[in-house]
Parts: sequence; structure tokens; C-alpha cells
Amino acid sequence: MNFTPVTAPSGASVTDTSNSGEIRLVDLTKKFGDTHAVKDINLTIPHGSYCCLLGPSGCGKTTILRMIAGHEAPTSGEITIGGTSVLGLPPVQRGTAMMFQSYALFPHLSIRDNVAFYLKMRGVGRDERRKRADEMLERVQLAHLRDRMPAQLSGGQQQRVALARSLITNPRVLLLDEPLSALDEFLRLQMRVELKTLQAELGITFVHVTHTQPEAIALADMVVVMDTGRIDQAARARDIYNSPATPYVARFMGAQNVLTGKVESIEGGIAKLKSARGETFELAPQKAAPAVGDDLSFSVRRDYITIHKRADAETQTATNSVLGTVDSIEYQGNFVKVSLQVPGLDTFVANVPDHDYFIEPIGPGDAVTASWDKKHAHVLDRVDTGASEPYAAH
Amino acid sequence: MNSRSSALPYIQVSPLALVLILFFSIPVALVLLVSFFRYQMLVGIVPDFTFKNYADILTNRTNWMLYWSTIKFALIVLAITGFIGFWISYFLVFHVRNLVTAIALFLVCTVPFWTSNIIRMISWRPVLGREGVINQALVGSGLTDQPVEWLLYSDFAVVIAYVHLFTLFMIVPIFNSMARIDKSLLEAAVDAGASRWGVIWNVVLPLSKTGIALGTLFVVTLVMGDFSVVTVMSGGLSGSAASAIFNDLQFLNYPRAAANAVILLIVVLLIASAIFRLVDVRKELVR
Amino acid sequence: MPSSQDRRPWTFYVLSLLMLLFVLFLYGPMISVLVLSFQGPSASLNFPLRDPSLIWFDELFNPTRVGDVPGAFSRSLPLALVVMVLTVLISVTAGFGFRHRFRGSGPLFYMAIASLIIPGLVLSIGILVTAQFLGLSASWYGTALGAHLTWTLPFGLLIMFAILGRLSPSYEEAAFDLGASRWQSIKDVVVPIVFPGMIAVALFGFTLSYDEFPRSWLTVGTRNTLPLEIWTMTTNVTSPALYALGTVTTVISFFVIAVALGSIILIQRRRSK
Repeated sequence: MNFTPVTAPSGASVTDTSNSGEIRLVDLTKKFGDTHAVKDINLTIPHGSYCCLLGPSGCGKTTILRMIAGHEAPTSGEITIGGTSVLGLPPVQRGTAMMFQSYALFPHLSIRDNVAFYLKMRGVGRDERRKRADEMLERVQLAHLRDRMPAQLSGGQQQRVALARSLITNPRVLLLDEPLSALDEFLRLQMRVELKTLQAELGITFVHVTHTQPEAIALADMVVVMDTGRIDQAARARDIYNSPATPYVARFMGAQNVLTGKVESIEGGIAKLKSARGETFELAPQKAAPAVGDDLSFSVRRDYITIHKRADAETQTATNSVLGTVDSIEYQGNFVKVSLQVPGLDTFVANVPDHDYFIEPIGPGDAVTASWDKKHAHVLDRVDTGASEPYAAH
Repeated sequence: MNSRSSALPYIQVSPLALVLILFFSIPVALVLLVSFFRYQMLVGIVPDFTFKNYADILTNRTNWMLYWSTIKFALIVLAITGFIGFWISYFLVFHVRNLVTAIALFLVCTVPFWTSNIIRMISWRPVLGREGVINQALVGSGLTDQPVEWLLYSDFAVVIAYVHLFTLFMIVPIFNSMARIDKSLLEAAVDAGASRWGVIWNVVLPLSKTGIALGTLFVVTLVMGDFSVVTVMSGGLSGSAASAIFNDLQFLNYPRAAANAVILLIVVLLIASAIFRLVDVRKELVR
Repeated sequence: MPSSQDRRPWTFYVLSLLMLLFVLFLYGPMISVLVLSFQGPSASLNFPLRDPSLIWFDELFNPTRVGDVPGAFSRSLPLALVVMVLTVLISVTAGFGFRHRFRGSGPLFYMAIASLIIPGLVLSIGILVTAQFLGLSASWYGTALGAHLTWTLPFGLLIMFAILGRLSPSYEEAAFDLGASRWQSIKDVVVPIVFPGMIAVALFGFTLSYDEFPRSWLTVGTRNTLPLEIWTMTTNVTSPALYALGTVTTVISFFVIAVALGSIILIQRRRSK
């Protein structure tokens, strides 16, 4: 798609002068009855960035999106776009446009009239309206279908119409609610690329809600990982992936193993931990030095784990390793996913490179030692409470 | 499952078809037949093929007046019930947030539907009558010196009773089609800068079209076919197309009653087919 | 959007008022009849209520004064019950039949709709004429029963459309896959799913027949059903006995409605557990 920013329609009253799409959420809270859908959220989404709100269903990500859009009023807190408060303003004055999960195309209007709806609401004359709607449809390569009704289009086409209808309002912020979830795998990957390209071309802020980790990682400049009603971590995709802040994020992003121990000693900046099961772990020097006696959780990426077969009798573990039994083997193409049963841990996974695995193949039931280098152990901000995360990617 | 047994649907619908043919199609056909028969005083019905009954009816100015009056009632009642039906449904679907409350209020609106029409009609007597509740209040508060006479036994009373009896037929279908509107369509319209009225006019109203059409079908045909409400509530002052049939029957003039019935049926079916042409009601119902 | 903002828009208050007035309009007159049916011996048809008593209910069962009310009840109730049972059986099976494509489905559908919208009086004449052609006399258990069915069946069919529209054919198919016979799949899968809808059809069948006037008018023959009895009373009886009768029929209707809605709620609640 070849998008260029559209000039503001004539007669449009633009309320803000900055036209910046920077979004700030300050102490934002939303209660439905007695339950907090969202609690004390603080977040700044820079102008022109692609931000993904990521989390399992029910975590409050859609509520945040709807509050930014003006379809839901916050219970307390502040929302500013481009430095001015937008609370109480209708969507058009906020400069936001929303793309709905169901696309919400008006079933009784043709494609062209759907796209022209905004212009009709502004009192633009019919010929002018049609001309501009047709231009917009040209951009999404659907001009030839302009007289069709929405029900006659495929899912992918409907989505392009929804996009065209959102963009004709010339927004500074585009809000996308699970925009790819209704598409099949092939179209999803294709649309993903198109969305990213589009955002770069338009240079406006995109806020994209999703529950799919790879989607967020692939698209976002900034990933916001949410747990029930709060933000666990908001950072660049690579940071979220490599340095998760909490056990929840580590598990939810899926690429990490989470371990916990009590600090026994600190020598030369290196903390020695002992786990409840008696294993010993080492942690490289950290920003904030832990104190002896503290409980600490850390994560190790799955692809930094090495696995060796061991004799059944071998029950002593070396430092920075755990003992386990192979539970299952999944071949993934360029690596092999080896799931271990480690007593006392919910999951422990090693992603073994394809060629390494086939040098010394192992199978379910084999006793193994899993070990890692201490430099790959990343300390988490919070101690793991062991809550398993049903939505975690595997 | 079509392939499993193609006779099955025929077996399943045959009782319905049987009842409708026996008690609807054949009777209607016979009414058509009898409408060409001759009526002879003291003898009764004489088989014949004459257009005299139709000629009598169509040349009689009173009949035209009755149709005109019925159509007038139908249009007035349609306007009022349509207005109430649309806004009550709108309120229940888009304003009441709690689903249980919405269902409860919907039931409150529909329960009278399942009680006797005649009783509900009569129940206006102690309210609208000369010594009724409203007149007592008006005289008691000194707003009027005399009781207002035109409240009962008047066209006003007829309209009140029709609205009382038939608004439910408007609310139910409109509610049904409104409840199916995806709420995000309204939000999308607001996103595009539509005002509250803009949303109602451009989104809610067009998407409630089928419900409005179905409600119109019910209300218009019910008013067109009524004779009891207009007789009782106007105190015999007004009539309807159906009351012409009623009168013929009092004189046992079956052929003319039949001819009248055929004309009324044609008018009603024409209205219905016009509505069906406007919206594909069947597609909406069967989906 | 009105329904998602926390502050209610002004239209909410205007429409609440409309709703309130409409409910008052619906129920106000019925309540006044209910109250006035307890009128004392003054026999006033209007407020105020003086010396509340039950004499007008007593009057109802005294046929010399107001006509044969108990007899009318004894015909209307069984008629309504028979119509109810037939309506459920016929419209439920027909509803399933309409899920398949079959030749003649269009004409049959439009015949049902025509039967729904035909003026009751026209149909009443037709059925009477048919009976005369066949040399039969009109009776409440014959011609009137048929006349009522032409009115209740289309309603039942429309309700079944609404319910079966939401029933995915995959339930039945799943039952077939699990080795159920057609009859088993209907009994154990389909009927439990559409059961609340069948209660609604039964409610319509009963009440529409119980209250039907124009279709009964020429078809009941010599013995009146209740709505006809009431119709006669509106012209003859000028005492609160008429109101008492209204109260009795309305109470019966409300009882039937309460049983039907109560059982639907009970089923839904048991299911959601």
C-alpha cells in the first residue's frame, strides 16, 4: 500500500495546534462496578511510535484503548494527547480513529459510503465526498469494489475498508483493537507487514492491542505487557524479550526459564544463591546489589541452556544447573524444543540448536542435566510467586 | 442432512400445511366464491355468478367513507405506535446498561400482550368516562367546569385503545432488530464525528428498518381488520372497513359480507406485499 | 456512545420518562378495573371505591343476572389447552422442517404470514361458510379450534424461526457423529436446547386462543367462549360484574404467564450452574 498523509479536510476545526500524537496516561483507573479493569496506569507513548498493548484477555488492554478513543470514560486519572487533556472530548476532536476488532463496517452502506461517512457527518457535499472516498479507496487498492456492500467482501478486504474509513478522518492517533485476529495465518502475516509500513509512512502514533506475542515483537517500537489491570513492563521489544522485568513477563513472553533462590553470600560482586531444592546458582554483578538472605528470582533464555545426558545415579548438581527428566521433544525446524520435568518447577524448557541435538539425541524419559553460563542469568525485579500463567507462549 | 432423507421436511411441515389449507386457504376460496352469489330476502343465499355485490359496495359512498376512516386511523396509530416503539426499544437496547433490567423492562412492556384485548379495551371506561379518573381530576382541580365529553366514545378513545392494544406489536420486532446491531457500529459512527442524532439517523434507524416494517405490517393489518374496538370505543359513532362486514352479517347477507371481506383482504394483502417489497422480511426471519 | 459513557446523556432521562409514562399507560387502566371490581353494592362503575366487597365476583357465578360465565370458562379453558398443545407440536415440527430447503417452502411461508394478517372477521366468515358447505355446524371444539390454530400457528412458527436461527446444525451433527439415532438426537440434544422456546410457543398458543375474539365470533356456534361472553356483557351488563370478570380473566392470564416465564427462568438458571 502506498499511503501518504492526507491533508486536513477543508473546514475542519482542529482543536490542538501541536498535532502531536504523544499519548500520556496519568494514574488512569477504570472500575466496572467493584472490579478494577485498569488500576493506576502511568504510561507515555511517544509521538509517531508503534505501540503494542500485549496481554491475555481480560487484562484491561482493550479498556485502555477504548478510554484513549473516548468510548469509555476513566473512573479517575488523566489522558492527554499532544499535551492537552482529551477527557470529555468526542473522538473526532481527540484526533483519534479506531479500527474495531469486528471492523464495524456499516452493513447497510456501500464501501464508498462507509469510507465517506466521516465526510457526510461534516456536511461535505456529495460529489466532493465521493471523490475523496474514491481517492482513499484507490490507496487501499479497493476502488474497483466501491459499490459493493461490506458483506460481499473477504475478511482482508473488509479490513482495508475499515482502515480507509479510519484514515479519512486524518487522525494523529490510530487505535487498533486486535486488528489481525479475524484473518487467517497467511493474510495475518501479510497485513502485519502492511500495517508496519503504513505506520512508518504516515508517521502518526499507532496503538495496537493484541494477545499474540510474535505480533507485538514484530510490529512494536514499544511493547506494553499487561497483567490483570496493571502494566508489568513497557519497553522496546528486544528489552522485553531479553530482560523481562518480572517473572510474569518472562513467562508470558515465553522464551525464558524462571528460577528462584536465597542469597547465601556475595563475593566480588557475584551473588551465590541456594534454591529450596539445594541447587546453587551464581549471578553476575547487578545494578542494585542484593543483600545476603534475600530471595531472588532470575530468568535464563531457553536457547542459552545446554543439556547433557547423565547417569541415573548422579544426583549432585554442579553450580548453575538443574537435574531433570525429558518430558517431551518438539522439532521446530532450526531448533529442538526439549521440555524437562524438574521437581519443584512448573516448566523448564531448553531450545537446543538442530545440529547440536542430533549429535547426542535424547528422548522422553532420559535423565539429563541442564546448565547455563552465569552471564546469561538475568535478575527479575520481583520474586517469583510460582503462579503459572495459562496464556504463556511455549 | 438433506441427503439423509429428502422426505423428512415434507413430513415435518405437513401438519402445518394441512391446518392452513383446511382452515385458511379453503375458507378464503369459499369466501371468494360466495361473494359472487346472490342474496335473496327470506330465501338466503342463492348460488349465482354476479358482480352485483361488488357493484353495490363500490358505488356506496358510505363504504368509501368507512375505508377512508379506517386508513386515517391506521396512519395515526402507525405514527404513534412507531414513535413509541422506536424510542422504547432504543431506550431498552442502548440506554439500559444492565441486561437483566433490560429484559425485565421488556417483559413489563410485553406481558399485557398475553391478556384479553377486550378487557384491556373496557378498562379505559373508568379512566376516560364522563365520571372517570381523568374527568374527576380535571374538574376537581378546577381546570375545567364541565367534564370533558370527547374523552370516551370518540375517535380519540378509539386511537387511545388502538395504541394501548397494538404498540407491543411495534416494540417487539423493533427491539429484536435493534438488539442485533453491533454496538461497535455506533462507536465507529461517533469516531467519524457523528452527533447523537447523526448516529440515530444514519445507523440505528436504517438498521432497524426490518423491525419497523414488520411492526408496521402488524399494526396496519390489525387496525384494518378491527371492528370491535372501533365499535365499542367510539360508542357506535365511527365505523371501520370490517364493521361494514359486521353489519352485513347482522342482516345475514352473506354474499355481500363475503364481497366486503374480499375487498378488505385485497387491500390488506396489497399493503403487506408493499411492505414485503420494501424489505425482505423472510430473509430476516429465517436467518 | 450513550451506553458506555459514565455520565448519562440527557436523552436517558427523557426516555426514562417516556418509558415510565408508557408503563403507566399500559397498566393504569388495568389496575383501575382491578380495583373497581371490588366495588360495593353502590354498583358505581367509577371511582371512588365505596364499601369494598366481593359481591360482583359472586354475581359472576349467578347465571341469571350476567349470562353463562362458568359455562364460558368451561369451554375456553379446555379449548385454550388443546390449542396450546397442538400449536407446540405442529409449529415446532414445522420449524424444524423449514430448516431444510424443500420445494414449496416459500408458498407455505407466505400462506402462514397471510393467515397471520388476514382480518379475523374475514377468516371467521370463511370458516363458517366452509362448515355450511360441508353440512357441519359450527362448534367451539371444531371450527373455533381450527380458527384459533390459523392465528396461533404462524406465531409459533415465527418464534421457532427466532430460536432455531440460533441453533447451529452442528449440535445435531455432533449427536449423529456420537452415534445417536435421529430420534435420540432430537430427544437428548435438540429438545433440551429449544425447550425454553417451546414454552414461549405454548404461552402464545394458550393466551392467544384464550383471549381470541374476532376469529371466534362466527365459529364457536351456539355456545360462547369467554371473550364472546365478555363482548356480550359490554353491551348488556352495566354493573361492576364486568370488571370482576375482567379481573378473573386477567388473573388467569397472569398466572399462565408467570408459570411460563418462571419455568423458562428456572431452566436457564439450572443450565448456567
